[in-house]
Amino acid sequence: CGFAPAYEKGGLTEGLFGTVRAADPDSKEAFAYVQRIEERLGRPERRLYDLDYTITTNSIGVGITSDNRTTRYNLEGRISYTLRNAAGEHLVTGTVQSFTAFSATGSTVAMLAAEEDARVRLMRILADQTVSRLMAELAVLYKQGRITAPVSAR
Amino acid sequence: QEQAAMVTDELQVTSGDDRLVAQGHVEILYQGYRLTATSVTYDRSDDSLVIAGPLSLTSADGSTVILASQAELSADMTQGILTSARIVLDQQLQMAAGSLSRIGGRYSAMNNVVASSCQICAAHPTPLWEIRARRVIHDEAAQMIWFDQAQFRIGGVPVFYIPRLRLPDAKQSRVSGFLAPSMRSTSLLGTGLKLPYFLTLGDDRDLTITPYLSTKRSQTVELRYRQAFRTGAIELEGALTSDDLTDHSRRGWFRGRGSFELPDDFRLAFNVIATSDNAYLLDYGYSDRDRLDSRVELSRVRRNGFFSLRLVSFQSLRDEDDNDTLPSLVTDMTFHRRFSLGPLGGMGGLRIQTHSHLRTSASPLDPDAPLGDGISDGRDVSRLSARVDWRRSFISDLGLETTLLGEAQFDVYRLHQDAAFEGSYTRATAAAGVELRWPLLKASSNGVAHVLEPVIQIVGALDDKSGIPNEDSVLVEFDEASLWNLDRFPGADAIEQSSRANIGLSWTRYDPAGWSSILTIGKVLRKHDRDGFGLASGLGGLNSDWLAAASFNFASGFTATTRAVIGEDLELTKGEMRLSLSQGRLFLASSALWAVADPSENRYQDSRELTFDAAWKVNPSLTTKAEGRYDFDGKRGTIAGLGIEYRNECVVVDLSLSRRLTTSDSVNPTTNFGLSVDLIGFGNGKTAGPARRCY
Amino acid sequence: AAQEASISFGLLSQDTSLPVNIKADSFSVNNADGSAQFSGNVLVGQGPMRLATSELRVEYAPDSRAIRKLIATGGVTLASGKDAAESHEADYTIDSGLVVMKGDVLLSQGPSVLSGDKLTINLKNGSGVMSGGVSTTFVPGGN
Repeated sequence: CGFAPAYEKGGLTEGLFGTVRAADPDSKEAFAYVQRIEERLGRPERRLYDLDYTITTNSIGVGITSDNRTTRYNLEGRISYTLRNAAGEHLVTGTVQSFTAFSATGSTVAMLAAEEDARVRLMRILADQTVSRLMAELAVLYKQGRITAPVSAR
Repeated sequence: QEQAAMVTDELQVTSGDDRLVAQGHVEILYQGYRLTATSVTYDRSDDSLVIAGPLSLTSADGSTVILASQAELSADMTQGILTSARIVLDQQLQMAAGSLSRIGGRYSAMNNVVASSCQICAAHPTPLWEIRARRVIHDEAAQMIWFDQAQFRIGGVPVFYIPRLRLPDAKQSRVSGFLAPSMRSTSLLGTGLKLPYFLTLGDDRDLTITPYLSTKRSQTVELRYRQAFRTGAIELEGALTSDDLTDHSRRGWFRGRGSFELPDDFRLAFNVIATSDNAYLLDYGYSDRDRLDSRVELSRVRRNGFFSLRLVSFQSLRDEDDNDTLPSLVTDMTFHRRFSLGPLGGMGGLRIQTHSHLRTSASPLDPDAPLGDGISDGRDVSRLSARVDWRRSFISDLGLETTLLGEAQFDVYRLHQDAAFEGSYTRATAAAGVELRWPLLKASSNGVAHVLEPVIQIVGALDDKSGIPNEDSVLVEFDEASLWNLDRFPGADAIEQSSRANIGLSWTRYDPAGWSSILTIGKVLRKHDRDGFGLASGLGGLNSDWLAAASFNFASGFTATTRAVIGEDLELTKGEMRLSLSQGRLFLASSALWAVADPSENRYQDSRELTFDAAWKVNPSLTTKAEGRYDFDGKRGTIAGLGIEYRNECVVVDLSLSRRLTTSDSVNPTTNFGLSVDLIGFGNGKTAGPARRCY
Repeated sequence: AAQEASISFGLLSQDTSLPVNIKADSFSVNNADGSAQFSGNVLVGQGPMRLATSELRVEYAPDSRAIRKLIATGGVTLASGKDAAESHEADYTIDSGLVVMKGDVLLSQGPSVLSGDKLTINLKNGSGVMSGGVSTTFVPGGN
């Protein structure tokens, strides 16, 4: 059915593991995003690609009851990313977006912990989406012969 | 001295009387000023230019253009008289006058002036609004315009008269003076007027004072103070009110925000907010939040670690919340470090965290048990936690990614003022697992690509026999991230202890030209359940509910993200959706929520709500807006609003009508009507709309 | 460059009845119309005025041997005191005192420079008209 393992020997994106360096984080959200990118693509021992990103988040009250209580918050997140090769050429640019949610009905301490966790989960979801999109977009570039696939170091 | 350049069709030189006569398409450039005219006579003996028009004199940056029929200027064009002149400032504000005198290359003084930034058509010459004045002086350097005996007219009808009026020109962004007034009328406060006055205190500080008086005996003064420092900035705002809506004689609110860059990458940020009573922020339209959290945080984030020392205090505005029995002051410190593990390979993390929260009440009992939240009124908690985690991935030739992962946590708790749980507790737990991930890829040269990714995780965890009461981990969420967390409890009080298998499959379709989507399904399978997750989380029971999440975005500007947690009997436990469409002249954002009630989350009714927020550009100048929020349980809208914004080349009119139907002991339903009119051409930062066409 | 206060703007005004002397590398006479052709480093002098060109045709009054008109082609430079002008060609009618210079005319007077397609100078009253895409510079408040 046309599918092939992304990381198989000689595969299209075999060389993506261990070669992507995400830009240094400057906020807790960015720290969680970079951590998940490195969990999924390994630490960049052999740095071939640079991943730049800008993060925007927005918290919106939902589930407002008739006695004016906000029972839940949606945390919208959007990350625009750019993958550049060693020469600095832009290979891939794109945007991923999603939202997570947290309840605001427990005690203030429960709400605070739920909000912090929702922020980290949002960044991990967007990081996973970024990895899938990088695989897809790089595979198209290799298929179109516009870039050559680096061989994995394994 | 500096040379002036002149270009002309013909130049006549006559000796003796020392004159140059330039005829035809004359252009003179000098110190950035550009003069164009039909003919110019330069008389060098008295260093003057006699100019026959139509002529135009334009400043270097084009922000001041003077048109006239004829003029007599000094050779350096800084001094002189232009007759039947029209001055255009920043392509917006036009002032026509019988004569205009240029003084010192800086001032333009005019008599019998008509000033307006509105389109003036030959067919109907009276502009939408105009200011007629006996005398006007424009100071290019100070970017100010002074009007003497000014008369403001709308559609040619005199509306009011001001002996002396001073307005900023369109380049002026920082000058003391009145800002545009706005009208706000609500069913609670009656019709009111806000007239802000902006006061600059040097380049780095300013103060805005806004009196707000309304018919139903409510007097308010709003204040906003801003100050910029070399390493940061602060903004303090608030308001003081006396009205007879409540028995409080003085009502008001305060908010202080700011952040500073400290040496060695440290940052200090604070956001402190407080209000006098539960309904104030809503009555006066400052905020609709029902819980205020004030934070002061010292933090540093670097590639391999972050440090955060934070103080958070809460003020709940909900009637049923008693601020004495809610944790009102939280102090926590987090030190997190990530590192490679050298010979062992993979990566590890260390997180050390201290946390404490206090309740002002000292009572060790929970008087409203069993209905209460099961926490004694006065309980104070302090905690020290240390957690290490480790993961290492191996990739086989077939592309199967096998990841070993594990984490261990050690906690020490001390609880006070709690009859049931007074004392200290320690806990040491750990969880370990293996994750098999096999990403499959299909890409075609026409740009469409698919990623199919099955993932299986087998996790084992130790029991938590510490008996630590769970207070901060009651609000659990099941989504594409928590599906793979080793500990799905958001806080530290509870730790996930059931061994389980997590299965998941995600399919990503990517097509830059058409539409892209990501679908994810997942489920948690357990041999026995020792965690007792809440009903609404969908993670409870032996096996969890099904998680299904999808996000779509179309190149045409439509994006939607939806997530559902579905019980094994196909009953919807929780469903949420957010969608937004921005296409041509329509912008629409909508959200939906469906969640079953869950006592463990202190939520005793189902939550079912639909919201929408739409804006439609009827034509380039007119935008209509509508927003609504419908609560299915209450069977009525909780918030509804309409708005119109009309923006043309010389005026911005913003009209808004909103109805809030939420009622509680302190909050009653209100209808708000707001109107603000702002003239374009005075003060910068206002974007003009498209000019109307002349018919 | 400070402007010399005394010089009036009048161009090259001078007495056109002064004798004209011409030097050149070679010289030939055309008996049909009585005109003379000078070529090669031609230099014409009349009082303080100097005209240099590579080709000069001189027309004489039919009865007397007085010069009626000078026609210079092949690049002309005209100089007198602080003023100098150059162009592709020029002709000077002695009795009317009119000099007409054509083709990339460039007139410089002390610091200010005038350029255009055609310059007509009346040597008798020092007035002149430059036309055709004229551009010049002047120093406001110079004097």
